[in-house]
Parts: sequence; C-alpha cells; structure tokens
Amino acid sequence: MKEDLMDIICCPLDKHDLDLEVDERDDGEILSGTLVCTECGESYPIEDGIPNLLPPDMRDEAPA
Amino acid sequence: MGDDRRSVKETYDRIADHFSKTREYPWPEIEGFVSDVDDVGVGLDLGCGNGRHLSVLAGVADRVVGVDASRPLLDEARERTASDPDVALVQGDAASIPLAASTVDVAVYIATLHHLPERKMRRRSLDELARVLSPGGRALVSAWSTEHDRFDATEGFDTTVDWTLPGGEVVPRFYHIYSPAEFEADLDASGLAVESVRVSSGNCYAEVTVD
Repeated sequence: MKEDLMDIICCPLDKHDLDLEVDERDDGEILSGTLVCTECGESYPIEDGIPNLLPPDMRDEAPA
Repeated sequence: MGDDRRSVKETYDRIADHFSKTREYPWPEIEGFVSDVDDVGVGLDLGCGNGRHLSVLAGVADRVVGVDASRPLLDEARERTASDPDVALVQGDAASIPLAASTVDVAVYIATLHHLPERKMRRRSLDELARVLSPGGRALVSAWSTEHDRFDATEGFDTTVDWTLPGGEVVPRFYHIYSPAEFEADLDASGLAVESVRVSSGNCYAEVTVD
C-alpha cells in the first residue's frame, strides 16, 4: 500500500484513525507493517503490500 | 456471525483462481452507471473480487480503492491492475467497511450483498456504504434476484449455489436471493437514499446516494 491510503482507511471496528508502523518499504510502497487503532488499540497487519483490515473475528488465524 | 462471514470468505479463497478466470469482463450495467459520473476524487469497489471493475472506476476517479474479504481474489485484482498506480487494495468486510466517513464519491457494490448470511448484516453493510459515501456521492448496488430464470420463487430466500472447480471438486457458496420488493425494503431501511431501482439480467440494481 501507499502511504496516502492512510487518508481514507480506518479501524473497521470503531472507525477511528490508524497509526502506521512500517517494517518494510520499497520505493513508495509499504510492503509490510502494522496499522494500530488510535482508539481501541487493535492492530491490523499489512501483508505483502495489502492491509488486512478484516475485523479480527474474520481473520484466518482467529479461532473458528 | 463472524463464522458465517468467514465461510463465504473461505469459499472465495478456495475458488479464487478459477472464479477469476470466468470473470474477465466488466458488466455493461456497471459501465453504464460509471459513464454517467463526472470526474471525482475517490472511487470504491466494495466486494471487488478479481478487480474487473476497478479500471472502469479509475476512468472517472483520481484514486480507486478495491475492498474484498478474500486475499486470493485481491491478489488476482493486484495482477490485473498492476499498471494502474491509482488503484489501492484493502482486505476488508462489506459489513464493517474500513474506510472513514464521507470519503467516497462514487461506489459500486456489485454481486456481493447477497453473500452476507443474515439480513441484519446485509442491512448493516448498506448503512456502512451510506456512512462512507460523501454527501451527493453515488453508488450502484446489485444483488441476485428471484427474477432470474433459474429461480421460481417470488419471495427472497437463502440458498447455496455450487461452484465446480476444474478437478471436479464442488464448493458451495451461500447466497441470499432477493425479491425486488425485499431489495427495495432493505435499501429503504438503510441510510441510503434510493434514486432508482430496476431488474436487469436477473439481478436487482439500485442507484443510491446520500444527502
């Protein structure tokens, strides 16, 4: 994802802003990192360039 | 609740590759809707699947966001839109859209609403669409309809429609088939203002806006 996406994405749960923590960047593209909700503290991974902003109960690793 | 929506996501995770190969072209209804839109800032494809409508939106919007629950489908969309720097992809749920309020000027929400397993969730996703649309922003919503030739019912109903993979494996997909009246009722109950509703090629379509 590009950093300007931060202007429009938000926490899917409470719709508050997200903080961006970048782990890996390539040319203007953020390849991996974490998005953390400034309100509830839930964190969302950026995986291979695409942010995973599914509610936590819909993530693959969530218990069924 | 979460489990049901996960199961739709998992279905598309499994069939993404084959599904994508059968969804090459934009639907004419979507091209028609978008061609009436003046140039805008942000376009959204909610339930973008393999991204076949992203470049249609990119024709009228400075930047386009494609949201889908299935990561394998987003990977297909990324491949398809690799040459378009104005397209961004986000993994997300149509009933909990991860976009801030009033950020979207034009949206398409095509053949996705009918995959949400409960009426409550379907109505919530329409409210979410209303939340993210900017005042005066416009959206096209479609869902599979009882008017389609393959159905006899006149009332909306839940069903599963099998997807057969090339190797013969059959993957069931949840659908709620909408009667036109129920489609209108769900839209009317939401925060969206309905401009027009019609049935085309067995799908219900609505053009909507927010005040």
